[in-house]
Amino acid sequence: MDRRTFLAHNAAVAAVPLTGAAFTAATDAASAATRPAPIDFRSNLPAAGAFPKRWICGSSSCMDNTDPPVQVHWYNPHTAILRQNKAYSYEAPFAPLYFGNDRVLLLDEGYVQLRNDCDYRAVVDQCIDEWCRRNGRDPASLELLVAFTHLHADHYAATNQFADRPNTRCMGLTHEEMVGFWGMRNYPEERVTLDLGGREILIWGSPGHVVSEFAYYDSYTQILYTGDMFYRGRCYISFWQPWFDSMKRLIDFCDTHPVTHVMGCHVEISKDGQDYAYGMTWQPEEAPVEMTVDQLREAFSHAQKITQPGIYFTGTVFLCNQTRGTTTIDRNPYRYE
Amino acid sequence: MTQDSASSPTPAAKPPPRPYYPNGNIAAGYNPPGVRNTSSVVPLHPGKPVVHDYACDGPAPGNLAFRWTYGSNIAARNRDPRVQIVQYNEDTFVLRQNVCVHWEAPFTYLLFGNKGALLIDTGATADARHYPLRETVDAIVARWCQARGRASIPLTVALTSGEDIAQNQGLVQFAGRPGTTIVPKPLAVMKQFYGLGGTWPSGTSRIDLGDRVIEVIPTPGTHKDGVSFYDPYCDFLFTGDLLFPGKINIGNDRDFLSSLERLKAFAAAKPIKWLLGGHVEMMFVPGKYYPRFATYKPYERVLEMTPELIDEAIVHARAVQGKDMMLIRPDFVLFNGVSPDQRTKVWPEGVPNIDAPHPF
Repeated sequence: MDRRTFLAHNAAVAAVPLTGAAFTAATDAASAATRPAPIDFRSNLPAAGAFPKRWICGSSSCMDNTDPPVQVHWYNPHTAILRQNKAYSYEAPFAPLYFGNDRVLLLDEGYVQLRNDCDYRAVVDQCIDEWCRRNGRDPASLELLVAFTHLHADHYAATNQFADRPNTRCMGLTHEEMVGFWGMRNYPEERVTLDLGGREILIWGSPGHVVSEFAYYDSYTQILYTGDMFYRGRCYISFWQPWFDSMKRLIDFCDTHPVTHVMGCHVEISKDGQDYAYGMTWQPEEAPVEMTVDQLREAFSHAQKITQPGIYFTGTVFLCNQTRGTTTIDRNPYRYE
Repeated sequence: MTQDSASSPTPAAKPPPRPYYPNGNIAAGYNPPGVRNTSSVVPLHPGKPVVHDYACDGPAPGNLAFRWTYGSNIAARNRDPRVQIVQYNEDTFVLRQNVCVHWEAPFTYLLFGNKGALLIDTGATADARHYPLRETVDAIVARWCQARGRASIPLTVALTSGEDIAQNQGLVQFAGRPGTTIVPKPLAVMKQFYGLGGTWPSGTSRIDLGDRVIEVIPTPGTHKDGVSFYDPYCDFLFTGDLLFPGKINIGNDRDFLSSLERLKAFAAAKPIKWLLGGHVEMMFVPGKYYPRFATYKPYERVLEMTPELIDEAIVHARAVQGKDMMLIRPDFVLFNGVSPDQRTKVWPEGVPNIDAPHPF
């Protein structure tokens, strides 16, 4: 398959709802006899769910860390949120795993490449097995979509662990492949709908932190997943105007859609607003990952006043406007006169 | 050999046969000239404490023959020793904290004399389960005492800076240890202890370990209570955070410069083989360094620095004085008045810009 065909293939598959397509007809027929009634993802919205009181957040001594490599938190029975251990990767990204009747969407794959070092694939497989056991489903009948929020290695490093997984499709690691994967023709404005089988995920472009980034809205839990473009920590804004436009799109979306939580990929701030410097492997008093729509609006109203590069605190997040990638507001504590 | 002598018109006189002692020359003393400064031959059953002769021409022999442990890709899976011990010679030990216990991975030095031992710095972790410094030092001391026919030896614990949390955390492990003197941490009390109350920051003090007298040189600059130690036996200058192959965060640029100048004057008067700092943060390619909090540093520069680096540091300390800036040099980076995460695009002229391979 040449590159052009490959891109077209992905786009075509995502654009056409797969439930009736020939692609899954065979598996549908095979499992139709044993498959239980589909789960209803469209009523009693938003689906209830809860974030944990406290995530695993590293340890004072990394080599004495006894937490699992990836923490799995079931937000509700059909939504898992994964977090990588800080002693395996200081970036410790969060990654939701959304289950539908036909397919599963994994957003973000952590910052460790090798299964030998951190077996992300096994964690995801285990989650899928568990969900299938609970719902009387055959894991082989579920398609896994391995996608990510944006084109940074702490979000796609483990993608290759899924390369040989059956019934799996992985997002490519270029802007064109990413946009093509969701079948978008007008990035970033176009909003597309991904059908996981009764559960719809709305996806649109959200550039600003990097050029290639998406925002994901799950219509079932009504969680708005904003990637690294807006998260509880230092939002590194590489391109101001695209970022501001993306914020506007998020606000507009919140005006027209119910949103329960806004969730980013990292946490780099403590409960009392202290900054955890870039690279830290222990965040004992870490703030929760989920934010409210009000906090998003508040950040946007701050952003409207920003005209110069620099670091601005909105009360929830730091907006690092066109500063370097690893900027912190840290100082040398031993300065003296 | 035969061909050479045959072709030579006037064959040189045959050298006298060299004596050959496969099991050692019993006529020679315990410390023949070549190995005079090592105690590798100590009596098997010493009746009384072995007294070592620390007087020597030039630096005492020794080497740092091992690579430092450098953390691992997955910090949680690291299984290196928590305290790495490298024995420089029989009376000098260099200890390093595991990078995956604390990213600062400080170096700690243990020196022995005939009447005492000195521990310079105590590491970045207080918890003895994670960083068993006291246990390690006790083991080295016990073994040294056994070899030298002693029941015990008094230990002094001194810090290159009392306020530096990358070096003072292990101090609590030594609280209540018998036969131990801990140099007090607060600056005023520390000055009194060293007898430098009136002269600080000029003047020097001494810690007598018994025929090995360690000099204490006040060197504020990165910390307001910084001191350096000079060991006249190995000719080492232990500079702590003041000068080390890494990111030097200057606390006060005037003090920093004057301390370096005092060190230069000191180095002109005393022989110095190496400067040994408190950390390594540079890579083995010039001017490149590891970011803060890194727990995997596979391409570290060596620890030891030559005394010429004092001159280089003085030149560039002048360049950054009074300015908020960072300055990259091949063997260290100066940060004055900027965030420890500051970055710069300015690359030093004439220094090759090499990228170390990125480990996956």
